[in-house]
Amino acid sequence: MKDLLTRRNILIGAGGAVVVAGGAFEASRLLRAHHAPTPYDDLLAQIEDRDSAIEVGKVLLADAGDFDAKSAAQVLRARLRNTTFTQAANDDAAHGRLLEAQGWVLPEAAAVPCLLAAKAAM
Amino acid sequence: VSAFIDARTVPEGTELQTDLVIIGGGPAGISLALALANAPFRVMLLESGGMTFEPRTQALYNGTKTGVSYLGLQASRMRYLGGSTNVWGGWSRPMDRLDFEQRSWMPHSGWPFGLEAIEPYYPRAQALCEAGPWNYEKAENWSPEQGAMIALGDGGVVNRWFQFSQMRNSYLPTHFGLRYADDLKRVRNLAVYLHANVTRLGLAHGGGKLDQIAVATLDGRHFTVKSRFTVLASGAIETARLMLASNDVMPTGVGNQNDVVGRYFADHPIPRNIATLVMFDGKVPPYYLGNQGMQGAVMRAGLFPSEKYRRTRAVLDSSITIESPTILDALGKAAVSVTANALGVNAGNAAAFTLGGGCEVTPDPDCRIALGGERDALGMPVVTLNMRLADSDLAQFRGTLKELGRQLLLSRTGMIRLNMKNRSDWLAGLDWGNHHMGTTRASADPKKGVVDANLKVHGIADLYVVGSAVYPTYGAVNPTLSIVAMALRLADHLKGQMR
Repeated sequence: MKDLLTRRNILIGAGGAVVVAGGAFEASRLLRAHHAPTPYDDLLAQIEDRDSAIEVGKVLLADAGDFDAKSAAQVLRARLRNTTFTQAANDDAAHGRLLEAQGWVLPEAAAVPCLLAAKAAM
Repeated sequence: VSAFIDARTVPEGTELQTDLVIIGGGPAGISLALALANAPFRVMLLESGGMTFEPRTQALYNGTKTGVSYLGLQASRMRYLGGSTNVWGGWSRPMDRLDFEQRSWMPHSGWPFGLEAIEPYYPRAQALCEAGPWNYEKAENWSPEQGAMIALGDGGVVNRWFQFSQMRNSYLPTHFGLRYADDLKRVRNLAVYLHANVTRLGLAHGGGKLDQIAVATLDGRHFTVKSRFTVLASGAIETARLMLASNDVMPTGVGNQNDVVGRYFADHPIPRNIATLVMFDGKVPPYYLGNQGMQGAVMRAGLFPSEKYRRTRAVLDSSITIESPTILDALGKAAVSVTANALGVNAGNAAAFTLGGGCEVTPDPDCRIALGGERDALGMPVVTLNMRLADSDLAQFRGTLKELGRQLLLSRTGMIRLNMKNRSDWLAGLDWGNHHMGTTRASADPKKGVVDANLKVHGIADLYVVGSAVYPTYGAVNPTLSIVAMALRLADHLKGQMR
C-alpha cells in the first residue's frame, strides 16, 4: 500500500481521472438528442424539456391531424410580443383555452410548443 | 319499557288496530317513530326482519335486472331493524337549495317544496345520525397543521366537506336499529313488530283510502292491521313493489293511476379512477384522502361544482374525492414537465393521486322498477329493474372534472388527467352509491308524481311515503341525512293531521 502512494503515482492517477471525466462529459453531449434547427426555435426556446414536449406533442398531433404549425406559431408568437410565456399559459387557463393530450388538460400556450416540437421531430 | 313483539307470535287472523302504522324500520321509519314519541295517538312500526341478518328474510329482496350493469337488488339494503343503515358508510352532507328547484335544462326536475322545508330539521337529523356538530363549510382552514385546503383558481368547483356518522363515537356509522332499539322500546305509544312483512295495502272500495294492511310471516302466519294513517318507509324498491303489487282494487296498483309508481328509479353512479390529479408541490392534506377528526366531528374534504356553476353552465351536481397516490407514466411525467414549465412553477416534487366521485343523473321514466312473473316465499311478485345511464349525464360530469383541471392550472397548483373518454371507459370502472331513489317521486301534479308536498300519496287520503323514494331529483350527496330530516318533517305534519 505504501508503494502505491508515491507522488508520481498520485499525479498519474489524477491525470487519468481528468481524462475519464472529460470523456464522460463528451459522451453525454453526444448522447443528448440533437434537434435540428426549425422555423420555430424562438418558441421552442421557451421549453426547458424538449423531449417531454415532443412526447406530449406527438399525442396532441394524433388528435389534431390538420394542425397548421405555421399559423399556430404565428398566433403564439404574436401573443408573446405582449406577454410572457407564463402569463400566456395563465391567460389560457383563465379563459378555458385548453387542449387534451390523452386526457391531460394543458393550456394552449403550453400545448402549442409541444405540437411544434413534435412536428419538427417527425 | 316494552319489548318488541315478534309477529310470529300473533295469532293467525288477528286484526290489530292503531292510529298510525309505519311500514319499514330503516332510518326513515325509526326516525319517524322516535319523533312521534308521546304523541297523543298510537303508533305501530312493522319491520320485516328481526334484530340481525337472516338469509331467508333478506332473500325477499331478490329481483332481476336488465340494462346497464347494476348491483344485486338484494344488496345495498338490509332487511332487518335499521334497514340500510346496517351497511351504510356514514357519509353525511345536506342537499343544496338548487337540488330542489325546477331546472330548465333538466327534464322532470323540481320538488314541490324547497330546501327551506327541511332545513329546520337538519340539526335533529344530524344528531340522530350522530354526525357531530354542524361544521361542514365552517371547517375550512380549521386544520392548518395538516395543510391548507387545495387552492383553486376562480371557477365552478369548490372545496366542500362531508361529515361522518359515528355510532356512540365508535368507528362504525350509526346502525339505527342497534343504536335506537332501547329508545324505541321506551316510547309508550309505540308498538314495534319484528318479522312482520306487509304483503298488501288493502284499498277501501273506491280506492280513496286504505281499509286494511295484510301482514305475513315467513313461518306462515297472517294478520291484518287497521290504521287511520299509513306511512311507507321501506325504501325505493320495496315501496314501489308493495304499491304495484296491491292491485286488487285499483288494477294498476296503489297510487299508480298515472303510471308513475316504479318509474324514475335512480342511484348515484360512482365510477372509479375517473381522473388523475397532480399537485405540483406533491402535497394533499390528509383530510382529502381519508376521514379526519376535526372540531368534534369526523370529516373529509371533497370537491363539488358550486350552485352558481351548475346554474350558469346548466350541469348536474357531482362530488369528487381524492382517493390514493398513484404513479405517473411517461406521458404523465412529460405533461407535468411541460405544463409546470409553461406556468413557471417547480414540479420537482410533483405527486399524483387518483380521483373518485359520484354524479347526479337526469330523471328517466324508463329507468324503472316493475313486477316480474316470479313470486317470493310470501307469494309477493318479485321485482325487475331496467337500469339506464345517459351518456349526456356522464359527459356533464367530465365537463366538471375538466373545470377542476382548469382551476388547478389557474392557481398554478396542479393539473388533471381525465381518464374517461367514452361510454365503455365509464362503464368499465362503474360502481354505484347504493342509493335507491325516485320510484314514488314527489310532485304537486298527480300526473307527474306519486306523493304531494306533504309526502301524501295523491288520491289516497291516509297513505304517505317517506325516504329517498320520494326524491324527484337526486343531487349528488348521500341521502341518509336528508331522509331523516324529511321523516322528522313528516312527523310534524302527521301530528297536525291527527288532531
